Amino acid sequence: MSTATTLDVDTAWETAVEDAPVAVHSAAGLVAVAGADGTCWILDTTTGDIVATVTLPGGILAAQLSPDGAHLALGGPFGHATWSRATNTTLISKTGNWSAAVRWGGNDKVAVASGRRALVLAADGEQLWATDPAPSTVTDVAWLRENRRLATTAYNGVRCYERHSARPVTEYGYLGSHLALAIAPTGRWICSGNQDASIHIWRTLPQPSAGGTPIGGDLTMHGYPDKIARLAFDDTGYWLASDGAPDITVWDFSGKGPEGTRPRTLRAHETVTALAWRPGGAGILASAGAEGTLALWRATRGRAGARLRPAHTRELDQPVTALAWAGPDLLVTADWEGRVHASRLPAALPR
Amino acid sequence: MTTDTTDLPENETEVGDALDTRVPVTVLTGFLGSGKTTLLNRILTEQHGLRIAVIENEFGEVGIDDALVLDAEEEIFEMNNGCICCTVRGDLIRILGALMRRRERFDRIVIETTGLAEPAPVAQTFFMDDEIASQLRLDAIVTLVDAAHIRAHLDEVKPEGVENEAVEQIAFADRIVLNKTDLVDHQTLAEVVARIRAVNALADILPAQQAAVDLPRILDVHAFDLDRVLETDPQFLTETEHQHDTTVTSVGIDLEGELDEDRLNTWLGTLLRERGTDIFRSKGILALEGAERQYVFQGVHMLLDGEMGRQWGIGEPRRNRLVFIGRNLDRDELNAGFAACLTATPAAVTA
Ligand SMILES: [Zn+2]
Repeated sequence: MSTATTLDVDTAWETAVEDAPVAVHSAAGLVAVAGADGTCWILDTTTGDIVATVTLPGGILAAQLSPDGAHLALGGPFGHATWSRATNTTLISKTGNWSAAVRWGGNDKVAVASGRRALVLAADGEQLWATDPAPSTVTDVAWLRENRRLATTAYNGVRCYERHSARPVTEYGYLGSHLALAIAPTGRWICSGNQDASIHIWRTLPQPSAGGTPIGGDLTMHGYPDKIARLAFDDTGYWLASDGAPDITVWDFSGKGPEGTRPRTLRAHETVTALAWRPGGAGILASAGAEGTLALWRATRGRAGARLRPAHTRELDQPVTALAWAGPDLLVTADWEGRVHASRLPAALPR
Repeated sequence: MTTDTTDLPENETEVGDALDTRVPVTVLTGFLGSGKTTLLNRILTEQHGLRIAVIENEFGEVGIDDALVLDAEEEIFEMNNGCICCTVRGDLIRILGALMRRRERFDRIVIETTGLAEPAPVAQTFFMDDEIASQLRLDAIVTLVDAAHIRAHLDEVKPEGVENEAVEQIAFADRIVLNKTDLVDHQTLAEVVARIRAVNALADILPAQQAAVDLPRILDVHAFDLDRVLETDPQFLTETEHQHDTTVTSVGIDLEGELDEDRLNTWLGTLLRERGTDIFRSKGILALEGAERQYVFQGVHMLLDGEMGRQWGIGEPRRNRLVFIGRNLDRDELNAGFAACLTATPAAVTA
């Protein structure tokens, strides 16, 4: 059990949007706050002022800014959209397909889940290539190998694609409905969160054999009470945080990985609504719960199996539905009522 | 909480403790031409002023401005416990999940399924996904039946291992709207009712023309609420005459006495584990030895939901009533198995 040392957290700015936010994402001095009904507000991270609004008719499920902040991609229940900052124009694709994940692979291309396929679009929205249909609606997408390889999750596993082939170049199979995907920045691990309340883990190294079949065993973390819908690696790729229980679990992926180890558990919430690692890899995690608590953690302290207490908590009137770090010293949260709050942390955190 | 294991589940809250504010969900099943669209339009028109979301599997002619209509393509997912009866509807999980993230609150959700859709995965979704179960309440499965054509559908011989969908939809129903009664004579109607009763002795049968059914009989009926289980005290429990020409039947058990909890757990657990695929639905009110309250349960296949119910009255005979609806049920074996769970010294049986 670690002792809690309080973090100093100041309010940088506050603003409000007219919807229930479903996604917050920040890049290059901008923060995108996407509302469930279909409007995405783009704010200046310094002032909180609204720079632009982008609309995807029918609702938004996912939003992400390109790393240079020049473009925004949106996914929704009936299609997807891309926005250009330079021209303040939006290209809307009413595909009729469910798009619950968008992920930039550098500044020039973005992967968009679209029904049972994933599409790769140029920054201006033009389609570059598409995967063949997965066995179910694609739930999440992620890039690996310097953004040359695209991984998708759907029913019965993770599939990896490259530009030259609509068919998967590698498949990581595991029965069940995979909901979320996290790939270690080290490239060594692919993890999926499953409807059956487990995390499934594949090793990507050593390199695939000639046949494309991954070498090395896979691993399943069972025992969660709920489905795993959120999981995230920190920037080092050594730590994986996930929901699936009132307690957030943090697995140690350094060395040989988490096999046979116990996770650190973080107790502050009844149901986890959002979690995100602070950029830079210092082991600071932000999380929010349906009960209205916002918590900051030194999530990698203590021993394996330790139950950690938050380094900072704040009780809010309404639960935070989405949060994101806008750099290492600014945390942006959005609550159910549309209040957007930016908290400033000291650049040098006490260890 | 729901469970897939042998121990009797027990909720922390007791029946009627708190006001249930979850949004009710009605599942409409029935073959094409049975009048589903007519009924759906009736619900949307007559429930004017309520915010209703409709999730439909086939493009219907729903055209009401007040309703949000979403299309779903059936995505049935097996869970990783290796059991073929434990399936959920992935499409419903994501669509309902997205609906709940909207700021707009719906008064009611109607899920319309195709004539060929299996009802079990729809119902099991509400048992197996905690996020959905915490915010939405499965109210009832309403099956529309065309009085003129249902016998032909029921008699249709299916290949080995393929279930007759019409039989399944009747077996899973809480309410059966027997539509188009004006198109058949009295004799035929009586035969149709007898056929339906032989499959499902629990459901209310509501005769109708042009799907004109009293909406309070099918909406907000709390058919899946434990405190409503068997509240109507169905007559069939004492019936002994049953048609034996169908493989899907209802078996009712009504025995006085108290139950040995360990033996009951073993018997019910084994039964649902080994025969869960064949047992479509189950409901019961039981007297556990020494318990001041009734134990109330219901299940879909091997998933069981149960809790302590109302207090037994002073001098009220301890009585056990349960019903199984399923395929190839052996009435004598079920009776004997259950009777063996009674404590050695049964309470006095009233003549
Ligand atoms: Zn099962």
